[in-house]
Order: sequence, then C-alpha cells, then structure tokens
Amino acid sequence: MAPTRTIKNKHAGSKTGGAGGGKKPSSDGISKTKSRSGAKANLPAKQVKGRPNLPGLDKSKKKKKPIYTDKELGIPELNMVTPVGVTKPRGKKKGKVFVDDKESMTTILALVQAEKEGQIESKLMRARQMEEIREARRIEAEKKEAERKAKLEDTKESLRRKRKRNKDGSTGKGQHEEESIAEVAATGTKAAKAKKKRVSFAPE
Amino acid sequence: MRPLTDQEMKTVLDKLANYVSDLKSLIAPLEDGDRYVFRLNHSRVYYVKLSIANLATSISRDALLSLGTCLGKMTKTGKFRLHITALPIIAPGARHKIWVKDNGAQPFLYGSNGGYLWIEVVKAHVGRWSEDCPEHSGCVVYSMADIPLGFGVTARSTTEARRLDPTGIVCFRQADCGEYLRDEDTLFAG
Repeated sequence: MAPTRTIKNKHAGSKTGGAGGGKKPSSDGISKTKSRSGAKANLPAKQVKGRPNLPGLDKSKKKKKPIYTDKELGIPELNMVTPVGVTKPRGKKKGKVFVDDKESMTTILALVQAEKEGQIESKLMRARQMEEIREARRIEAEKKEAERKAKLEDTKESLRRKRKRNKDGSTGKGQHEEESIAEVAATGTKAAKAKKKRVSFAPE
Repeated sequence: MRPLTDQEMKTVLDKLANYVSDLKSLIAPLEDGDRYVFRLNHSRVYYVKLSIANLATSISRDALLSLGTCLGKMTKTGKFRLHITALPIIAPGARHKIWVKDNGAQPFLYGSNGGYLWIEVVKAHVGRWSEDCPEHSGCVVYSMADIPLGFGVTARSTTEARRLDPTGIVCFRQADCGEYLRDEDTLFAG
C-alpha cells in the first residue's frame, strides 16, 4: 500500500513495485515496516531524480560574477555632497601653512603689487582711450553746430539782401515799412500786449 | 594669535595695494633690526613689530584684546575689510588723494546726511584731487590742512569728475575718523 502511494516516478515505481510485489506475499505484518523504511530510504533518491531543475540551479550559482565595490574599481564617487572643508587632499600635511619668513612675504608682496599695477595701468589706458573717443565726439558735435550756425547766418543774409532789393525797387512801400519798424522799436512788444483781453468785474 | 596663511596674506595685501602705492615699505626692516609682521587674532589682522608679537605669545588668545595696529577684519567668506584704524599705515603712502574743503570735512566725519550714514564726497566739497586717478580705485581723503580724515573709493575718474556738476558724487566713503566715536564699541572687539 504505502510503496504504491509514494512512488510516482515510473522508473522508481517499477523498481519498487517489482520489489514490493515480490516481497508482499512472503511477509505481511513486518513487511509494512520494511516497506516504510524502504520508502524512507527511497525519498532522497526520489527527490534528486524528481527535480530536473536542481542541476540547472547549481550551474547558475557557479556562473554568478563577483561583485566589486566602487572603491575596488577606483571609480570616483558621483552625486555626493562633499563640502570643500571636509575633503582632505591625500598626501598633504594636516594643518595650515603660515607665512612668516621675510622671503615668502616679499614674494607674495611682489606678486600682489605687480598684479595691482597691471590692473591700474589697464584701467588708466581704458580711461584714456574713452577720453579720446569722447573728445573726438565733442569736436565733431562742435563742428556740426558751427556748420548749422553758418547755414542759418547765410539764410539770414540772403533774406536781408532780398529786403534791400525790395527797398530799392519801391521807396514808398519801403518808407512805410521803415516807419512800422520804428514804431515797433519805440513801443517794443508791449503794443501787442495791450490788445490782450482783460476781464473785470462789474460794480454792483 | 597666529601668523597669516598664504591665502590670507594675499587677500590682505591685495586690499592694501588699492590704497598704498609702495607695499614694500610696509615690511621693510627697521633700523634696530626689527621688522613689522601681520598677525591674526579673533579674525582681526594686526600689523605689529615682530618683537612685540613674540612677547604677546605669552598671553592666551582669549585674554589678548589687541596688539600693534589693527588693520581690519577677515570675514567668514575669506574677504578682508579695512578698518579706520589702518589709516595711519595707509595715509603716508597713499596712491590717490582727495582733499576736502572745510565745508565738506564735517559732513564726511559726522557721517550724517539726514540719518543716512554712508555719505559720499560730492564735488562741491572737493578742494583738489590727485591727477590720473581712475574710477573705482582706492583713495585717501585729506582735509585742506593735509590731515587724513578717512578713505574711500573714487566714483569717477579725475577727467570725468571735472565735468561733473557740484552735487555729483566723486568718492564713496569706506571709513572715516568719526568711526572712532560712532563705532567705539565694535571697532576693537566683537
């Protein structure tokens, strides 16, 4: 009974079945225990044979590549917040290096002085160039202004000449014009102001 | 108290070079064989004789309030701020100078312009100035009697300043002698 139940594998079944079948008739009571012990003894064999994937699993374990850490490979650490003060340069002596001897002080001083002189010199050069440009612009503007004035003077002169010609052509009209000019000169521009409308309140 | 590091020394000298034309005279050996050195204590930089600095090592850092001449303060970002106390060192070898008239000396020293403390020197107050002075360069402000009053940064070059109107700003104030009274509490400590 027991051997038939447990044995599912064809090969195992045929083997055990054959053996069991042969033994059954010989001993009934004791055979049970025997058969049980036999079944137990067969279990590991069944497990090994009944699992076809087991050998495959063992192979994958063997193939697994070794895992290296970043430090072993020497890859620089990325995306890490490492403040400047925290990172310590390798192979450098710990602590500050003071400048107290005269030689090193003079060296630094000379370097700083040269750098500053250069900066100031370039600043001055730039300022001078800008000044030159400004001066040139100013001269150009003055020239343009003088030209404009000259043109205005010319037109004025031409107008005066025209007036003179008219004066020579008709003396009567010219005399009248002269009189009007004299009148304006005497009264000034106040004459025009006299015509200005005024508002006054009527007495009650 | 400790000497300055390489970087600190560069920063300090760079700032001083804005105002002083000849830096070498600052560390030149003295007649008695002594020389001046820079020392740092509580983020303040002192300009002191080496012999005095050596004597000061016998005083603990906390107990040491001041020694020599305080030049200024190292900020936490590594910059250096010159204090008015550095004026006696800057003034003798000033690179650029501005002389302020008497009417301008008082507003400059009082630092009060209707409650506005950072007053500038306006053109109307300037008696004379050194030639060939570019803009944004350090200058020492003197009274007409050649007494140094403070220092600042030029707002315009000399040529540009000539064309300015009287209310135009010529110099931005950095420090003035009035600070000895105004910032009495914080000037030497804290």
